[in-house]
Amino acid sequence: MILDLLAFLVLAGTAVVTALAALLVRELVHTIVWVALFFVSLAGFYFLVSAPFLGVLQLGVYAGAVTILLLFGVMVTRKRIFAREAATGLGPAPIALALLVVVVLATAASTIPSATTQVHGYSVDALSAALFGPYGAWLLLLGLVMLPALAGAIYLVREGRE
Amino acid sequence: MTDLPLAAFLGLSAVLLGIGIFGILTRRNFILLLIAIEVAMNSAILNFVVFGAYWGAVPGYGLEGPAVAVVLVGLAATEVAVGLAIVLALNRLRGSINVAEATALKL
Repeated sequence: MILDLLAFLVLAGTAVVTALAALLVRELVHTIVWVALFFVSLAGFYFLVSAPFLGVLQLGVYAGAVTILLLFGVMVTRKRIFAREAATGLGPAPIALALLVVVVLATAASTIPSATTQVHGYSVDALSAALFGPYGAWLLLLGLVMLPALAGAIYLVREGRE
Repeated sequence: MTDLPLAAFLGLSAVLLGIGIFGILTRRNFILLLIAIEVAMNSAILNFVVFGAYWGAVPGYGLEGPAVAVVLVGLAATEVAVGLAIVLALNRLRGSINVAEATALKL
């Protein structure tokens, strides 16, 4: 129990610090490293709440594919890879709005009862049976969204149009 | 099996959403904007996973939480792919990926 609390605190600190660092450091390549660590720390949370399938999915899709895709985007669009980003002013309005969201959601979260005080893990078998059984339509819908997205992405980057 | 309170995870998710919204409002680089959107999206996915973990074993509640989380991870990856395609097109046509300069809808 004390180990769980320790793991939660370490992971929460890592997640918040890496998310902030990713958005505030001025070198884009460093941003990619921080955001990769952020994705890994979230995968740690999924393992903590006994959802290993989602943890592996997070590691594979986010820490793997999305990070490399973002790095590719940085490499293609920069003349110099380690060029610095111009500092953006930290106006009071965005900070105030973000704090408002946090306060409202945190007060709402404190009133939600948990059904159980214990996490009960589910087997990967049960989840995959559910994904290809009762919730199969959702996966089908995801595929139907992905196909036009792929076509649209190819249309956007195709050669021969100025 | 952890016995941390559900509210701890929800509070963390609220903080991450706040960081994401802050990034979306302040960053002008398209790639940083995409990263801020991903941070906000990950806070939502964390919510689904945690609710699924705490309510999944209660009779009458199925595996909706993890199932929605799987679909959302796929959606977020799709969104990054389309976003980067827009980044590449914008970079080729304007020579810059500053969102403040992308004033025309036609790419």
